[in-house]
Amino acid sequence: MTRIIAVTGKGGTGKTAITTLLIRHLTKGNKVVLAVDADPDTNLPETLGCKVHRTIGDVKEFMHEERENLPPDVNKQSILESKIYEIIEELPGYDLLVMGRPEGAGCYCYVNNLLRGIMNKLVGNYDVLIIDAEAGLEHFSRKIFRQINDLIVVTDGSRRGLGTAERIRELVEELETDVDHIYVIANKVTDSTRETISSTAAELGLELIGMVPLDEMIVQRDLAGQSLMELPEDSPAVKEIENISRKLNL
Amino acid sequence: MADEFPFEISPMFEGERIRKENMYVELAGPKSIGFELVRAADMNDVEDGKFTLIGPDLADMAEGSRYPLAMIYKIAGELVETDLESIVERRNHEFQNYIQGLMHLNQRDDVWLRVSKDAVKKGLNSFEQIAKAIMMLFKNELPFIEKVETIYITDQAEIEKEIEMARAVYKARDDRTKGLHDEDVDTFYGCTLCQSFAPTNVCVITPDRISLCGAINWFDGRAAAKVDPEGPQFAIEKGELLDAASGEYSGVNALAKRLSSGEYDRIKLHSFFEYPHTSCGCFEVVGFYIPEVDGIGWVDRDFAGTAPNGLQFSTMAGQTGGGKQVVGFLGIGVNYFRSPKFIQADGGWERVVWMPNMLKQKVVESIPQELKDKIATEEDVKDVESLKNFLKEKDHPIIKRWITEEEEAPAEEEKEEVSGISQPQLQQPPVQYIPQNMPSGFLPSVPMTGSSGSGGVKIVLKNAKVTVDRIIIKKIE
Repeated sequence: MTRIIAVTGKGGTGKTAITTLLIRHLTKGNKVVLAVDADPDTNLPETLGCKVHRTIGDVKEFMHEERENLPPDVNKQSILESKIYEIIEELPGYDLLVMGRPEGAGCYCYVNNLLRGIMNKLVGNYDVLIIDAEAGLEHFSRKIFRQINDLIVVTDGSRRGLGTAERIRELVEELETDVDHIYVIANKVTDSTRETISSTAAELGLELIGMVPLDEMIVQRDLAGQSLMELPEDSPAVKEIENISRKLNL
Repeated sequence: MADEFPFEISPMFEGERIRKENMYVELAGPKSIGFELVRAADMNDVEDGKFTLIGPDLADMAEGSRYPLAMIYKIAGELVETDLESIVERRNHEFQNYIQGLMHLNQRDDVWLRVSKDAVKKGLNSFEQIAKAIMMLFKNELPFIEKVETIYITDQAEIEKEIEMARAVYKARDDRTKGLHDEDVDTFYGCTLCQSFAPTNVCVITPDRISLCGAINWFDGRAAAKVDPEGPQFAIEKGELLDAASGEYSGVNALAKRLSSGEYDRIKLHSFFEYPHTSCGCFEVVGFYIPEVDGIGWVDRDFAGTAPNGLQFSTMAGQTGGGKQVVGFLGIGVNYFRSPKFIQADGGWERVVWMPNMLKQKVVESIPQELKDKIATEEDVKDVESLKNFLKEKDHPIIKRWITEEEEAPAEEEKEEVSGISQPQLQQPPVQYIPQNMPSGFLPSVPMTGSSGSGGVKIVLKNAKVTVDRIIIKKIE
């Protein structure tokens, strides 16, 4: 069975960095990973250190635009599947897919329905599917992914940040997606914020699974636009991700 | 029987993805060329079980390399005919994916294959092994195939020569499928994808009528229903033909009743005014009746301007959508303009008086030659008055209806329906549909079909077991 992890959180909390470090951990453990960038506002490919040329949004648009030009009796599911396989970036230990631009005007019910079937089949090929998801969880409401084993909400230490985690928990209850567990990871934690974060999380009834310290090495790499995959083992953030992974049994 | 092959063959390997890291060789695909083709041949021209390879074999290919690949199957048998070629060809995709360590994607001249390192390790070293397995599956699963012969080509120059022949076959096939009509098939397809927001919508997909969203044609319905008969697209036995002109079938009516939970029990596939197809909300184009000229205008989603009736697409779509039969409006897919049965119950193209220029250009080849310059666009007219003048000036066939109506008007009561094509009765007061608990003073007027005739009142009680759900009061037809 494929383990399905979604990482979400407000912009600026560093959820893409956390996703990248989880992928780094998984591939080092020889797990075959499918990474999905489902947040148009962030740039998972950049933190992973690779380039993505086309997105699922582009492929959906292609299917939409070409709907009248394709030969009438060709199998559209087969075409869409092939187009998606074409845009998968194949990297050492993991594959990467980017959801990309939102839908244009018109009806995408049929294309999305085909996409659901294809993604369902594709996901079965991997040990772990990890999704960098925007806070609104749009792709889940569209049921492109039907199930989440672990939903990880990344937050900064502020009460407002933890409030977002609470809102996401409420949102999940409205989704038709099955979510087994919701965890919170606090990011960019400093000695002065550590205690307040854990008490606020407890107050809100959130399951805080780890506190990733503010890591100068990440700050520097972010500034230079460098990949986070090559962070050294002694990076404080990497160490905490190892702890978290152990707790999550990854 | 499968013991003779160095790989397992099972449907459970369908969907197996071979990643670059585990790939021994890539064949055809987006970075190379190739095709697959099934040809029906005479019994004498097929040597059963024969395999020919033109070009290097798997054993000659280096790990990590990429080669072009063409796969040609010649089939013969008493029942084998050209029309079966594409169906058999589709099974090549399925059967190749049954082979563990072989990934087959797409179709025709877009095929894309990968062979895994594991498969090669286990002894897969020749295309002959794959071809023999496929020939075995063809004969086992498709008993009408009595003889099958296979030619694989991995030589670039040879494929470049043959691919044109393959494309000509595909083209001829497409031309044949475009000639398929409602009367040629026994099965239509239904789709319920839109029912989540249009619960009474009944989308019927036939060879002459594409889905309202424009995305699903009859072949797509067939493909989906075959894979998952319980899925959102499913087969409809079309049943008895009740009326050819308007496209009314007993099977479609039965389905309409079931899918709309009894709201509608008749749907005429090619009718605008009487028992029209329901409109979901996803439709690409909405048609609207213009009573002043007794014609129909069409406006598509991409047109941001205002139609001659003063309304925009979004406004009309809002009124029409929701899965209802709304007389005077009809949602359709763009491709329906290309159907030879396009609103044929109501005069087809002769009833069309206005469409946005972009939409008109898109479907211009389907407009009868003599009408091409008689259908107005936003560049010709702005309102109903100028539309009327335009139609008169161009001598649009619709003006014959104006004269006929003026002459016939006094004799209205004696008039019988002419040749099964009924006149719209929009002058009739619309039937009121009054949901319970509706605040007073707000009575949405939803015009419903068949409100012709006069005299008397019919009260229909629906779902009246213990309490009354709703009361519909309408004039008797």
